[in-house]
Formats: sequence, C-alpha cells, structure tokens
Amino acid sequence: MAEKRLIRRGFSFPPYIFLLFPAVLFMLLMYGYPFITSISRSFIGKQGTLSLENYVKTWDLYLKDILFTFAVTLFSTSMTAVLAILLAVYLRFRTSVVSRILAGLYKMPIFIPFVVVAQMMRSFLAPHGILNLALARLGLIDIEQPLELFNFYGLTFGFIWKLVPFSVLIIFGGFQMIDNSYIEAARSAGARLFRVITRVLIPMSKSSIMVALVLVYSQIVGTFTLPFMLIGGKIPTTITVDIAHRVNYFRDFGVANTLGVFSYFLVLFTAIYYLRSSAKKMTEDQNTEV
Amino acid sequence: MFTKRFWIISCEIILLLLVFLIIVGPMISIFIWSVAIRWYWPNTLPQEIGLDYWLQALGLQKSLAIGAVSIVPAFVLSITIAVIVVAICMVLAIPAGYALAKYKIPFGPAILFLFLMPNAFPQQPIFINLLGLFTKIGLAGTVQGVILVHILVGLVFGVWITSATFKSIPVYLEEAARSVGAGRIKAFFRITLPLAAPGLLASAVFVFITSLDEFTGTFFIGLPFINTLPMALYSSSGYNMQFASVIAIILLIPSLGFMILIQKVLKAEYVGGMG
Repeated sequence: MAEKRLIRRGFSFPPYIFLLFPAVLFMLLMYGYPFITSISRSFIGKQGTLSLENYVKTWDLYLKDILFTFAVTLFSTSMTAVLAILLAVYLRFRTSVVSRILAGLYKMPIFIPFVVVAQMMRSFLAPHGILNLALARLGLIDIEQPLELFNFYGLTFGFIWKLVPFSVLIIFGGFQMIDNSYIEAARSAGARLFRVITRVLIPMSKSSIMVALVLVYSQIVGTFTLPFMLIGGKIPTTITVDIAHRVNYFRDFGVANTLGVFSYFLVLFTAIYYLRSSAKKMTEDQNTEV
Repeated sequence: MFTKRFWIISCEIILLLLVFLIIVGPMISIFIWSVAIRWYWPNTLPQEIGLDYWLQALGLQKSLAIGAVSIVPAFVLSITIAVIVVAICMVLAIPAGYALAKYKIPFGPAILFLFLMPNAFPQQPIFINLLGLFTKIGLAGTVQGVILVHILVGLVFGVWITSATFKSIPVYLEEAARSVGAGRIKAFFRITLPLAAPGLLASAVFVFITSLDEFTGTFFIGLPFINTLPMALYSSSGYNMQFASVIAIILLIPSLGFMILIQKVLKAEYVGGMG
C-alpha cells in the first residue's frame, strides 16, 4: 500500500517526513545530543584533554556506591518478581469477594510519583514514624530502639511498594491471556498447583514477566528522588545521589558523567533486551496491520 | 471440607489485611501528619489535630507561628507549565504517532530506538548534560528550560500512546472516506481524529500528570528559581513534615484520580517510567 502511494506522488517527499520531523528533531536535540555528551564528557579530564582520570577518581571514590546501587537493584527486582508473580497467580485462580477487593486495591500506587512515595516513606519508616510506633504498640520492638530504615531496607521497601503493583498489572495481564483449557489439561494430567504455575503459567507468559522485570530493574537504577530523599548523602548511597552531589556541590561534570556511564553499564543487558523486544513487537504489529 | 474452606478464607483475609496495611499505611501516615498540630514522641497518635497547615498552605490563613508559606504560587506555576507542556507535546506527538502507526518508514528502527531509549536507560545523565547546554544558552533556571525538559519526559509517552491509538483504528475506514472523494487531510480530520479522540485525550491527561509530578529534570534545570509543587514538597520535606504532607496529598489526588479513570484501558505503555 505504502509503496503505491509513493510512486503516485513522484519525486515529492513522502508525508511522513513532515509528520515525524518536529518530534524527531526535538528528540535528537534534547535526548540524542545530551546522551552522546554524557558519554563523551566522561573521557575529558580537568585540563580539557582526553583522559581516564574521571574513571580512576570514580573507581576510587564511588565503587562502594556503585555496588550498593547494584545490590539494591538486584534485591528489589528479585523481591518484586516473587511478590508480583505470587499475587498475580492468586488473582488469576481465585474469584472471591476478597480477590475482587484486592484487584482494585493493589493498583493504587501505580501512578503515584516517586517524590510522593519518598515523602510517604520518610514519614512512615522514620525512627519515630508510624510503622515503628505501631510495631512498638504490638510489642514487637522496643520503642527506645526503633528500626533504622533510612538505608538499604527502607529503599527496597519503597521500590517494592511502588513497583510490585506495576509488575502485577503486566504479569496478571499475561496470565489472563492464557486460556483456561491449558490449565485444566495440566490439572487433569495430574499436575498440582505448583507445577501448573512453574510449567504452564510462567513459561507461557515469559515475555510479559520479562518486560515487567526489565522495566522495574532499569527504573530502580535510574531513580533519583527516592534514594535522594530517603538516604541523601549518607554512605553508602546510590549512583543517582552521587551524580547530583557531584553536579550541585562541585560542578564536576566529568565525574558526574562517568557515574552516569556506570549506570548505563548496570542497565546494559536489560536495555538491549527491552530495545530489541520492543522494536521486534512494533515491526511485527506494522507488518500485520499495514 | 468445611475446615479446608475455612482455612482458605482465613488466609485470604489475612492476605487482604496485610496488603491493605502495606499499601494504605504510608498514605495514612501522611494524612495524619498533614493534620497534626502537636505530635510528641512516643505518642502513637498526635495530641492535637487541626486543619491549620491545610489552611495555611491553601492561602486561606496566614500565621507565622507554624513557619509555612502558601503553596498557591507553586500550584499555579505547576498547572501553567503542565498546560503548556501538554499543548506542545500533543502538537509534536499526534503527527509523529500517526506516521509511526500508518506508514512503513525507512530507518524505522532507528526512529523507534530514539523514542524507546529514554525508557531503557537512566535519564538523570541526560538532565545534567542538558543543564550544561542550557547554562550556555541562558535557559538554566528558567520556566522555558523546565518546560522543555517536561516536554522531553512527556513526549515519549505521548508518541507511544497516540501511535497505539492510531494503530487500533482500522485502515479501511480512512480509505473508504478517500474512495468517496475526501482528501487525505479531510479524511484524517473527519474520520480518524474523532475516532482517536478518547485515546488522544488519555495521552494528554497522562502527559499533564507526568509534568505535574516531574521532579528530577526540574531539580537540575529549574533550581533554585523554579518552584513547582514537587520542588516545594522537597524543600519543606526536611524541616516541616506537616507542610510536605499537605503537598504530597495534593499531588496524590490527580494520580489516584487518573488511576480510577484509566482502569479499563490500562496498558504497559502508560506505566513505563513514571516518577
């Protein structure tokens, strides 16, 4: 179809050039250009010459924070995977009043921005916050020694709070696409619930589970607001907080960009997976519909 | 049989209670803080509650004692920026989304990548390099600079949602209109655009909320002059819990409202990278 139109129009530009031009130009200037400089500037030293001094400095000063970021990301993503799959399985199999209430309830955090999540966690998880007060009331902790949660655990809790609902949404969507007949077939062949989950549900919705987890993973690496407001400059903290520190206090764009390159490295595999699967999905859509 | 059923239902109710406490607990926490006048540790609940901080924040009452300022200017600024961002974003996103949905484009994958990259890689390095660029051309610390950054954040979602919307409209409708003599442009405005209106509206609302909630880009480009609602939340978060909680609740309302509104058509594209 598209080719025929082109031939009829002779040498004039195809219309999609004009349609795409403004948005693509904007993205090239506002995203493409800074993306390239974010990598190139990491190789430029204090004297303005090509050097690896930023990398040496970053390695010396921030290795611990890079590892901390990686640990938080891996732990939060795995916890999110387990919790989201369990909740999605529950919602897929159970139809009761409780499951219907839960199906409405769990979605609440999806669109709540991280700045609000951060403020909530700051007041909820504080040493004198509502969580510690409630646990002390129940006699589970000593009120004089509240849980200190402005660290790895609080950060993980915040990420899970915001990202499990998002993952359940996508994974449950994948589970719903699986026809009941597959599950019944497995059941009648003698498979128990656990085997149905591991042999039917998870393999058949592998792509939606992967997309959810890839997006969760790269969001955690890139989130600045939550660690910034929850942990701030305490050691260890995340790469994103270090970048802000480097820029705001030292105007040191070299080291800041080097930290940025390290964060690109942390998401390299997930980014490649995401870009490839999304591009593939979209070209498939186009081939079937045009 | 009865006992098994009993156990399942008990477990379900415990699960419900747990999920409820975990999800709603942090929200309750900021609600309590927003009305706490006096709350001394180790009291489980505030000793004195009232709407003083709400009235103060909304500019209905002025008292120096509680050390908070009105958020009305920040609110007006945030809404103004969001409206401008939505207008420009949609002007850029509708043609681009249409082209991506309806044409076979050479270099298609490269263009797709450009719009997918912001979801795949951390965006903070982009913002600090834009800060360097904007400082040179005098846009750092200005409303225009912040608007440009918000457009960048919103445009990716705008393009994907509009493109998905246009894809869902069958090609033959537009072709039928053209076969009875309507031009390409007329067919678009008379047939495709009205059919796409709900999806385009959803995308506009989404861009609006993204702009309203945007923190990281505003933090780097706008500081210290541009005081949007998230910035006001951040700057009061350290020393004035009540005031920060009031702003957090004000920002919470549109997010929950959008959630309820969009329930039926919620898709992964909408949730790719909020915050």
